[in-house]
Amino acid sequence: MTSGLSDTRAAPDASTIPAARPAGVGLASVLATALASDGLPAALLPWADGTVVSRLAGQLAGLGVPAPLVVTRPGFEAAVRQAVGPAADVRASASVADDLRLIARAAREGAGEVLVMAGDIVTHTDALEGLVANPHAGTRILAGGRRRPLAFRFQARRGRLVSAASAYHAVRSPNGTFLGVLRTVPGDVEALAQAAERLAPLVADVPDTWRDELDRKAERWRAAVERASTGEEEGGDDFAGPDEPEDLEDTGDDVGGAAITLSDADELQWRTRVAAAPEDAAALLLVGLVRAHVDVTPVYLRQLFWTRPLSPAATAAAAERIKHYDVDRVLLESAVKSADGFFTTFFVSPYSKYIARWAARRGFTPNQVTTVSMLLGVLAAAAFATGERWGLVAGAVLLQISFTTDCVDGQLARYTRQFSKLGAWLDSVFDRTKEYLAFAGLAIGAHHMGDEVWVLACAAITLQTVRHSSDFSYMAVAHQAITVTPQTPIEQPLDHAGARAEARRAARAGGAAPAPSKRPLATRILSAWHRLDRARALRWIKRMAAFPIGERFAVISITAAFFTPRVTFIAWLTWGGLAVVYTQAGRVLRSIR
Amino acid sequence: MSAAAAVLEPTAPPDPLAVYRDDGPIARTVGRVHLSAPAPLLALAALAPLLVAVAATGGGASDALAGAVVAWVLLAGGLATGAQGRDKIAWAGTPLLRLTEYVGLIWIAALHGESAYPAAYALLGALAFRHYDLVYRLRHRGVVPARWVSALSLGWDGRLVLAFVLLVAGALPGGFYVVAAVFGAAFVGEAAYGWVVVGRVEQPLGDDEEDDEL
Repeated sequence: MTSGLSDTRAAPDASTIPAARPAGVGLASVLATALASDGLPAALLPWADGTVVSRLAGQLAGLGVPAPLVVTRPGFEAAVRQAVGPAADVRASASVADDLRLIARAAREGAGEVLVMAGDIVTHTDALEGLVANPHAGTRILAGGRRRPLAFRFQARRGRLVSAASAYHAVRSPNGTFLGVLRTVPGDVEALAQAAERLAPLVADVPDTWRDELDRKAERWRAAVERASTGEEEGGDDFAGPDEPEDLEDTGDDVGGAAITLSDADELQWRTRVAAAPEDAAALLLVGLVRAHVDVTPVYLRQLFWTRPLSPAATAAAAERIKHYDVDRVLLESAVKSADGFFTTFFVSPYSKYIARWAARRGFTPNQVTTVSMLLGVLAAAAFATGERWGLVAGAVLLQISFTTDCVDGQLARYTRQFSKLGAWLDSVFDRTKEYLAFAGLAIGAHHMGDEVWVLACAAITLQTVRHSSDFSYMAVAHQAITVTPQTPIEQPLDHAGARAEARRAARAGGAAPAPSKRPLATRILSAWHRLDRARALRWIKRMAAFPIGERFAVISITAAFFTPRVTFIAWLTWGGLAVVYTQAGRVLRSIR
Repeated sequence: MSAAAAVLEPTAPPDPLAVYRDDGPIARTVGRVHLSAPAPLLALAALAPLLVAVAATGGGASDALAGAVVAWVLLAGGLATGAQGRDKIAWAGTPLLRLTEYVGLIWIAALHGESAYPAAYALLGALAFRHYDLVYRLRHRGVVPARWVSALSLGWDGRLVLAFVLLVAGALPGGFYVVAAVFGAAFVGEAAYGWVVVGRVEQPLGDDEEDDEL
């Protein structure tokens, strides 16, 4: 690691947080091919007392990744070799076509995972660790939110890429961006090599349709550069996050940028971007994998830092900005689930993450925390079962502590990257057990108070189990649908959705089809419904309406502490019943459109 | 890596909807009649008369009526399991069958009387464990519970028959407690044993598998 950086993990944690598992990366190919505004490889831009690529090489070595294969253009080998040290294998390659062939060959020769990454990116080590530290996960990329207009975009559905862009490939409805790091697991390496071989002749003699697509992108970037420089829109590579999964953006009507006049500096920045785009072999390979139906998962940057500075000035600015990151705090923020319920987000996560950090420093494992949470849940149920006022109040408090502890275990797992399948299973099963034990405790308590509510308890366990059964079944079918999402061949710049839209447009222009027919009613209702999400408050209300776990536990605690178990069940069943109507109606609409 | 190794596919994972449904022998036999109707419609056909019977009689139906309703549920529900096609609404069949089973068990408890409700709750708790375990085990490990435990569980269809037999035999509420205890011990024990066997090596979780329901 280059000196003078503040992006190492805070010292007190180093002894307690287990080191990353040995990375399974067999080949790390770093692309030092794109040129910066000064005409030299952007990877050689100065960084502290080294270069951008020497910093990256240090980060990779720290993660246990073997010495990389660094690809650069003829004439720069010596400078690159000096930057990355003698251990690395530096190769000169004349064109992106040769880069692809080189990667295909090296990938087939080696064993293990293959990392393909841009050599000119600046990001936190933890962002790279998120990709390489988990040897059992699938093929993955480092991903950003969609408000990074200069990065190649992708569309992900349910944690899987369904479309990806390169200099020559477009995404119709993007919701994220590729941040230049692609990790391919051994099972997909052959697909990667085949994609590289199929792409190589195409990029050697670029088809006209591909050129048109690059021109379109260049225009869009021109507009983006202008918007960023006028401060009209936060974006460009200076976007400060958070980089999280986002909703789709429809790019049907991209604004043209050809007529825009830029300042000299912006003009140079734009030219550098456009020239660097076709050099990006990683993006091309990503498109190749996605088009070959390979399962690729985006790993979001969340609130960590990432940029691709293609000029000395931008590199200096990046060095200044990364200094101000408190990585430990950022990792802690990132450990909080991005799509949690209202109660969890506003009443639990703000402080549970500090408990998670404390637990990490004390060396507790997520499974220990999960077990403590379960025991507290049992105590809560036992307190409810007394049927005394003090018992109901104590049960309510214990249940909330148990729920907080339950949030801690997930945050602890994400914070320390200690994911385990057993942990996930225990967490899920214990969540259900705690809730259903609380129902039993309340029913026993009511019995002691002379009120029989067992039938309400039966109704509650039925409602919740059936609700979850619907969630699981719906997700299983949706997942299968994504697996069979059609892909256009790699020769085609447009993705499946783009090609369909193009075909419709052509049909209309040729007068072959009648005036655009109205969209089906279900689709119109759903898009109106999705538009409501633009208002933050409405989005939270919609999330609350689904009666997620935080809200359910809150209802149990509040009504039990202040009223009687019967009130608890009636309130719980009422909200739960409305949630069934709400969620099922949405799912049926989505299924029939 | 050789090209030959790359084409080796893992064995096809089981169809999640079929696993979640938790069918028993009766439903599977009836399901051999592959109707072309949508599965959720048939599941609704199983559920609707049950709900009507619950609403009309509460806890006062005769054994004959209860038997007729259970038989109808097995028939229509069994047809629903056979009709699982790949239509986009197919997912709705599974929760409807689950609702049918649980409502059926609660109604049978009601036919015995109020005193059977706690026993019904215990039984539902044991069943809920199985129904979540079916999902989570498939999701996190790609496996289903051992065959003996699935046979013991009888499937949703077998459990309705067993509950009805216990009602007619006058074995409620004790019968429900016994079944709940046997089921609970078997379901939890087998799940824990599965984790002891494979869990020696802590298997890391892909972040794409992270639990996403609330």
